[in-house]
Amino acid sequence: MSADASDLSLVRRVQRGDKGAFDALVLKYQHKLVKLVMRYVRNPAEAEDIAQEAFIKAYRALPQFRGDSAFYTWLYRIAINTAKNAVVSRDRSPIEYDLDRNNEESYDMQGRLKDSETPEGLVLTDEIRSTVNAAIDALPEDLRTAIVLRELEGLSYEEIAAAMACPVGTVRSRIFRAREAIDRRLREVFEGGLGRAEELG
Amino acid sequence: MNEELDSQLSAMFDDELAPGECELLARRLSRDEQLKARWGRYAVVGAAIRSERGVRLNAPLAGLVSAVILAEPALAAAHGARRTGVRWWQPVAAAAVAAGVAAVSVLWLRAQAPLAGAPLSAHLTAPTATVPSAAVVPAAAAGVPDSYVVPRAPAVRAMAVPSIELANYVVAHSVFSSPVTRRNLLSAFMTSESGTAAEEPPDEPAANVR
Repeated sequence: MSADASDLSLVRRVQRGDKGAFDALVLKYQHKLVKLVMRYVRNPAEAEDIAQEAFIKAYRALPQFRGDSAFYTWLYRIAINTAKNAVVSRDRSPIEYDLDRNNEESYDMQGRLKDSETPEGLVLTDEIRSTVNAAIDALPEDLRTAIVLRELEGLSYEEIAAAMACPVGTVRSRIFRAREAIDRRLREVFEGGLGRAEELG
Repeated sequence: MNEELDSQLSAMFDDELAPGECELLARRLSRDEQLKARWGRYAVVGAAIRSERGVRLNAPLAGLVSAVILAEPALAAAHGARRTGVRWWQPVAAAAVAAGVAAVSVLWLRAQAPLAGAPLSAHLTAPTATVPSAAVVPAAAAGVPDSYVVPRAPAVRAMAVPSIELANYVVAHSVFSSPVTRRNLLSAFMTSESGTAAEEPPDEPAANVR
C-alpha cells in the first residue's frame, strides 16, 4: 500500500482539469488547515480566510506539484507561508478605530457578522461535536477503539490490527462501520439543521 | 448506497486503499455529490474526535474555495494554453542560441589563428630555457643531487680573423709550408665554414688525389 495514493489520485485528476476532485481535497483537509493557521492568528474567521487563500494558491500552483512529497506536506507549506504573510501585512497596516465597528474581523466584506461569530454558528459547531461524541459513546467497544486509534492517534490499519490483535481487513471493516454509525446521526444534523440533534439524542 | 463502495471510501479517506482502486474511486468521488458529502462528513467526524478547538465544523470553506476555482480555467486547459503559447518561440530561441554559439566560436578561432603573412615558425618557437646559475656550480660542491639540466650551447663561434682574409693569408704563405700541412690546413678551414663550403665540390677531382 503506497502512502498518499488517495491524495495523489485526486491531485492527478485536478491536474487533468477535474475541478471536482479538488473539492474532495478541500473537504478532507479544511479543518486541519484552519487549525494549523490558528497557530499564527487567534481569530477563527481570519484563520478560515487564510486557509481559503492557501487552498486557492495551492490550486493555482498544482501544475507544478510533481508528487515528490505528500500532498498535505506541500499544502502545509503553502498555508504556513500564507499565514506568515498575512500576519506581516496585518502588522504593517494602520489600526483603524471605528466606534460602531471596533471588531473589524467579525464582519465580512458585506459588513455582516461572520457566521462563526454568530450565536447560531457557534451553537451548530457545538451541536456537531456533541452529536459525534454521543455517537462514539454509543458504539460497541471494538468499533470505538478502532475509530479512536485511527482518528485520535493517527495509527495505520496495520498498527491498529497489531494493537487489537485482529486482521487488517477487520480493522478496515470496524472503522467503516463506526463511521457509518456516526454519520447516520451527523447527517440528521446537517440535513435537519439546528435543533435536530437534540431531538435525536 | 453500495456498502462496498462506502467501505472503499472510508479506506481511501485513511490512505489505506490500493492505488488502482483509488484511481477509480477518485473519478467517482469528483462527480458524485452524495459521495462527496459523505467524504466531507468523514472529515468532520475526524475533526470532532480530535476536538480541534476554534475550528468551525460547519464552515462553508469548501464551498467558497469551490466557487472561486469554478470561475478559473481548468488546470489542464490553462496549462495546455501556456504550453502552446510557449511553443511558437521555442524554435526561434533555439536557432538564436545556436547562431550565437557559432558566432562566438568563429570569433574565437579567428583570434587564435596566426596573423596573415607572419611565418608559422614564429608561433612555434619554443621558449628559450634559461640556465640556472646552480647548473654552473658542480653538483657535488653545492651539495645537491646530480642535475640533468643541459648547459646552454655556446653561441656562434667567435672568429678573430675573417675567413676570407685567413684563406688569402694561407695561400700567400703556402710557399713556406709543406704540401701536406697546407692541404690539411685548407681542408680544415673549408670544413669549418658553415653550409656552403661543405656543399662546394672538392678542389681536385678524386682521380687527382694521390
